Amino acid sequence: MYAGPVQDLIEELGRLPGVGPKSAQRIAFHLLKLPKQDALRLARAVTEVKERVTLCTRCFNVAEGDECGVCVDSRRESGVLCVVEEPRDIVAVEKTHEYRGRYHVLQGAISPIEGIGPDQLKVRELLARLEPEEISEVILCTNPNIEGEATAMYLARLLRPLGLKVTRIASGLPVGGDLEYADELTLGRALEGRREVEA
Amino acid sequence: MRLRRLWLTDFRNLAAVELEVAAGLTAVVGANGEGKTNLLEAVAYLATLSSFRGAPGEALVRAGAERAVVRAEVDPEQPGRAADTLIEAELRAVGRDRVMVNRQRLRRAADLVGTVRVSVFSPDDLAVVKGGPDRRRRLVDDLVVAGSPRLAAVRGDLDRVLRQRATLLRQAGGRLTPDITATLDVWDAKLSDLGETLAQARADLVGQLEPLAGKVYDQVAATAARVTVSYVAPWRDQGLAAALAEARTDDVRRGVTTVGPHRDDVELSIAGLPARTHASQGEQRSLALALRLAGHQLVTEVGGTPPVLLLDDVFSELDPERSAALVAHLPRAQALLTTTGALPAGVEPELVLRVRHGRVAVER
Repeated sequence: MYAGPVQDLIEELGRLPGVGPKSAQRIAFHLLKLPKQDALRLARAVTEVKERVTLCTRCFNVAEGDECGVCVDSRRESGVLCVVEEPRDIVAVEKTHEYRGRYHVLQGAISPIEGIGPDQLKVRELLARLEPEEISEVILCTNPNIEGEATAMYLARLLRPLGLKVTRIASGLPVGGDLEYADELTLGRALEGRREVEA
Repeated sequence: MRLRRLWLTDFRNLAAVELEVAAGLTAVVGANGEGKTNLLEAVAYLATLSSFRGAPGEALVRAGAERAVVRAEVDPEQPGRAADTLIEAELRAVGRDRVMVNRQRLRRAADLVGTVRVSVFSPDDLAVVKGGPDRRRRLVDDLVVAGSPRLAAVRGDLDRVLRQRATLLRQAGGRLTPDITATLDVWDAKLSDLGETLAQARADLVGQLEPLAGKVYDQVAATAARVTVSYVAPWRDQGLAAALAEARTDDVRRGVTTVGPHRDDVELSIAGLPARTHASQGEQRSLALALRLAGHQLVTEVGGTPPVLLLDDVFSELDPERSAALVAHLPRAQALLTTTGALPAGVEPELVLRVRHGRVAVER
């Protein structure tokens, strides 16, 4: 439709998640209008991220170099691992400042529809870490959807026989929210997972 | 709840409609293909955010238009909520649909469900009696969800687990490796959890529906036949987990999930004989109607107020006696009905609308 390079750019942008053909076109023409140095800065950022950033050899978080910032941090509590699906989940957990241990990124969740089974995830690598790092607790922090729950259950069945403490994050109500506005499913789960009040 | 006013823009062939709906019965008259059912479909859309005719969303947007808008003023008829609720649903030919309640955009369109409630009666209902088990499961599931919205999520999750499991079975290619076994174990655990929950809810609902349907059937058909409605799930005696384990070899060989709530049926019988194969055409129609009316009664009990009745061309399919019986036993509720011909005796609408070429005019 457009001259060669423009069309190529639109097609490449259209491959990005959440970018449809119309958005791709809009972004492409925005880039065309941009001063040259601004456009090149974006190009450089893309190149750098591909050249310099790798996956941590220990936990498969994004890293510059061999191991990621969390893995090399000696102040981190050892013996406990938080298992997440994606590196961005680490950022979410880190924001809570509630967790001081290390992580393990599975790089996805079990989903036959997407062709992802345990073999495609970093499960073997997780098992290999348990002994050398003397792990005593694994927190399963996968998403609370069907695939995340299935993955958590798969891992729990794998890990529990090894004599580890295996826990799953709770699901429930958002803090500061109103019961009235909670959806039935979340409220139902919160009721299921109720705790005795300490008095 | 009560529907007060309705505005439609480019919904199917209805380019611009604005009307006030009667508190009781509104009759929508006109020849075939003029757009009567589209009016009912628009009201039902607000209840379920889908077409009761099973049409995809883009089919609801008038040809050539970019978007359709269904807007309604609804009286929730709940104590302490005097103000009317304004609901606006925007369907786009391309892109995401939007739903607003009182000018506030809903974060999830699904949150609307329950604000408008309808009971739809259409000539297509006969398929509930004559058609395959999926039609009967859908009837029961819709009633289950109306009574307990949480189960909509259970049903959605169950569908997803079934799809994942089916894909895994196909990938296994008939062989049960230790890897496949371990993953299958996980899906089976999920499937059995969700399946047991849904089956229990279905069985409970069928238990409530049966006596009501029997009573309504006797009234509509003017007889005293014994109508039974029973939920048939062969796996329930041993439990789904055990049934899945037993069927596993077979499932892997055939590449499908052969047992579970997606294979269950709701058996209907009249005087001890299966209605699908043994009942006459007239009996089947009466039974289909009785099931809908009974469902309507159940939803009314659960919700406190009756849903809006949407009767799409039901009288054309019934003989005069059955029509009269239906009219006599029509629940007291706000209702919209469509008809091509004259209304049966005893039907006195408060408002008559004539639909012609996609235009709606008040006739009286």
